[in-house]
Amino acid sequence: MTHVSIKELTKIYPGSAEPALDQLSLEIPTGELTALLGPSGCGKTTTMKMIAGLLAQTSGDVLFDDRSVLNDRPEHRGVVMVFQNYLLFPYMSVADNVGFGLKMRKVPKPEIDRRVAEILELVKLPDLGSRRPSELSGGQQQRVALARALIVQPNVLLLDEPLSNLDAHLRFEMRDLIRGLQQEMGITTIFVTHDQEEAVVLADKVALILDGRLKQYENADVFYKRPIDEATARFFGGQNFVSGKSNGLVFESALGKLALPEGAISGSGKLTFRPENIRINATKTDENTLKAVVNERIFLGTQTRLRLVVGDEKLDAIANPNEVENISTGDSVNISLPASSLWVLPK
Amino acid sequence: MSDRLKIALLLAPALSIIGILFFGGLLIGFMRSFNYMPVIGLTDPDLSAYAAVFTSKEFYLSFLLTFHIAFTSTVLSSILAIGAALLLRRTFIGRSLINFLFQLNLTVPHLVGAIGMLYLFSQSGSFARLGAEWNLISKPSDFPAMVFDPYAIGIILQYIWKEVPFIGVIILANMQSLGEDYESVARSLGANKWQAFIHVLMPLIFPGVLSASIIVFAFTFGAYEIPAILGASYPKALPVLAYQKYTDVDLAARPEAMAMAIVIALLSALMIYFYVRYTRRRIRS
Amino acid sequence: MVGKESFSVRSFRVLTGIVLITWLILPLIPLAIWSFAKGWFFPDLLPKRWSMQAWDYALSDTAGVIDSLWLTIGISLAATALSILVGIPAGRALGMYKFKGKELVELLILAPTIVPGIAVVLGIHSVFISMGLNNTVSGVILVHLIPTLPYMVLVMSGIFANYDPSFEAQARSLGASPIKTFWHVTLPAIMPGIIVGGLFAFLVSWSQYILTLLIGGGRVVTLPLLLFNFATSGRNDITGAIGMIYILPGIIILLLTAKHLSGRSGAVGGFGQI
Repeated sequence: MTHVSIKELTKIYPGSAEPALDQLSLEIPTGELTALLGPSGCGKTTTMKMIAGLLAQTSGDVLFDDRSVLNDRPEHRGVVMVFQNYLLFPYMSVADNVGFGLKMRKVPKPEIDRRVAEILELVKLPDLGSRRPSELSGGQQQRVALARALIVQPNVLLLDEPLSNLDAHLRFEMRDLIRGLQQEMGITTIFVTHDQEEAVVLADKVALILDGRLKQYENADVFYKRPIDEATARFFGGQNFVSGKSNGLVFESALGKLALPEGAISGSGKLTFRPENIRINATKTDENTLKAVVNERIFLGTQTRLRLVVGDEKLDAIANPNEVENISTGDSVNISLPASSLWVLPK
Repeated sequence: MSDRLKIALLLAPALSIIGILFFGGLLIGFMRSFNYMPVIGLTDPDLSAYAAVFTSKEFYLSFLLTFHIAFTSTVLSSILAIGAALLLRRTFIGRSLINFLFQLNLTVPHLVGAIGMLYLFSQSGSFARLGAEWNLISKPSDFPAMVFDPYAIGIILQYIWKEVPFIGVIILANMQSLGEDYESVARSLGANKWQAFIHVLMPLIFPGVLSASIIVFAFTFGAYEIPAILGASYPKALPVLAYQKYTDVDLAARPEAMAMAIVIALLSALMIYFYVRYTRRRIRS
Repeated sequence: MVGKESFSVRSFRVLTGIVLITWLILPLIPLAIWSFAKGWFFPDLLPKRWSMQAWDYALSDTAGVIDSLWLTIGISLAATALSILVGIPAGRALGMYKFKGKELVELLILAPTIVPGIAVVLGIHSVFISMGLNNTVSGVILVHLIPTLPYMVLVMSGIFANYDPSFEAQARSLGASPIKTFWHVTLPAIMPGIIVGGLFAFLVSWSQYILTLLIGGGRVVTLPLLLFNFATSGRNDITGAIGMIYILPGIIILLLTAKHLSGRSGAVGGFGQI
């Protein structure tokens, strides 16, 4: 039960001119699950190690419940970090791995055994205590690493790319396990990932870090609907950007005049909308309708991607294959861009 | 050509050379230690050489001394090497110089180190002169005997000088490939620095330390020139004693020398057993 | 790991570093000083008189040091060349193939790297008598193969374990004969390994004492034997000069190969024997 505040946290590695992390500030409320999202090498793991006390910051502060923990040794911070490659101690059994933190705290052996059995039950590995880590699958190793962290009942749990080493079918299982345990135990949890899907699937809130700086810190869906700039939109798979001018109500561009949702900014900027929000085969009653020519049609299995041309503008659309079955390259179609799916980015 | 034949042909030259020279040498030594050598008319093997060796007080003293040299040198070198590797793991002023000196030291033959130790620690050596300079001693014989001494201090010092870099370089590479993340995990799970070292780093580097130590133990047990330069005249280190017996004017002493050589070989066979056992285990895990 | 280190921890680190540096070069210092000393008596910390006498003697034609140097170089080169020649095929077999009895073969090759020379050389001496190999340079070269060859095989098997034979298949499919394939494809690929392994095998042979002493029988006087004789006869100045000459190849090889000397390369294992 800890509120984590990060204040202008900066890390410059010796011999490097560019900061690995540049004045990051974040407030992570008690019990929330927050994702630090960014491309590889953007300073995510550096941030985690500084929160855990495993790396010294160049400047800035880390506070738990408004108390600076910079002078606390890592073993006294109540923060446990789970590394991406799990790092189970190879010479110990699974049970000894899980009980490690308790042993370091000199908890009596019978109690360690009891709690290890309990937590292995919780991560659904009740019978594997005597195995060696090398005998486990990747998913099982991940759960052992999680159990090893949770058994010490940390105030803050840090997870480094928790789903990235897992197969697709294991990801959802692990996601449910992590979310379930995290909610049940109410541990403030921060995880880092380079995968926007992983961030959205797992986190309450997402902090996007690009080039060592915090770009946007919001609920996951905001990144799709209301990205702060083009780089953020692109990171989340945004494809369509049209230059033009907004008066706050209407956006004027090569696409003509399009009605905007409430809260859109004024001035010259870029209009963005997600490929999946373009409605194909629009009727007259739909808002913001346009005529487009299908330039290319790519079947992707569960969806179909259309490359559209409106005047000189190229647009990307994603549609349900059934809905666009009768459309072929060169056809002219009516499309609609619902006002609620539009957003204006500053130039 | 079948793979089997190809492999056999590829291995044949190396295996014949090693087989004839090394194992042949061992075998002949073994036979002669039993006074058995049909080519020169010795056709009745007996145990007289072993009887002579195992009833001689000199042999036991010599064996104990050699074991003491090998054991003490190996243990101290391993401990100091772990310390040195821990030191060299961090960046600090002078690290690259120490790294270079470690490597330099690997290329300097033991014999040179032994002579250096002689000039440093003998009773008229550099340290005795320093002692005189600071009025701690007035004449060479006041300086404690550290070479030609019964405790083999000079020999052990020279082995430490040579083997700390040898074991250290191996452990350092081991540590570098492990990285620091295992210890980070331990720290974040609540281990303090010391606990992380004892419960995590040590078990991880132990196989490497052990295999290097085994090589060092076997070497220090069987080396000739270092105890020949720095050792006392009685008791002698076992290899020195064996050589002396072998080159004795009395040819009858040769089987005894062979018997001692076999004792050294048996001890190193034991070392090979440990070495293989532990390297195999490393491969499995 | 934890980046913030207190001042005292850092000072301790630097202090132990200084002690370590001093200790590592300490034994070589009196050796170097002696080679330039003209009488250096207790309790003088430094010689009262300096001279080049020992060096003049060591480098003169009559003293035999130069002859001994060439002899030692020749023996070590020959032992190294033979080890390379025989070590490459054996290393290839061990590095690239899995076969029945491989563990036993590895054990047979590992054994000479651990068993001390004194344990086998007495037996070899008895055999070499009848073969007329004692007291000859060829006998010494042969016996030097005991430490150098297994070492070379181990290095080469490490090289071949990381070697991709499909390059050879590619060359053959492009029309190269087996010999041309070896010459133009295999050899260039394993060359770095051969050079590093060869240099270290050279050092292993260079440092042999007891094998040369016994098989050479006092007739084949390599540099370490000469050094030992001068050291035990109390000619400290000449000992110093020969000692300096004796460690020179090691330093040169170190400067050529420093990056291969980390413990991660299999090459370092051979240094247990130097």
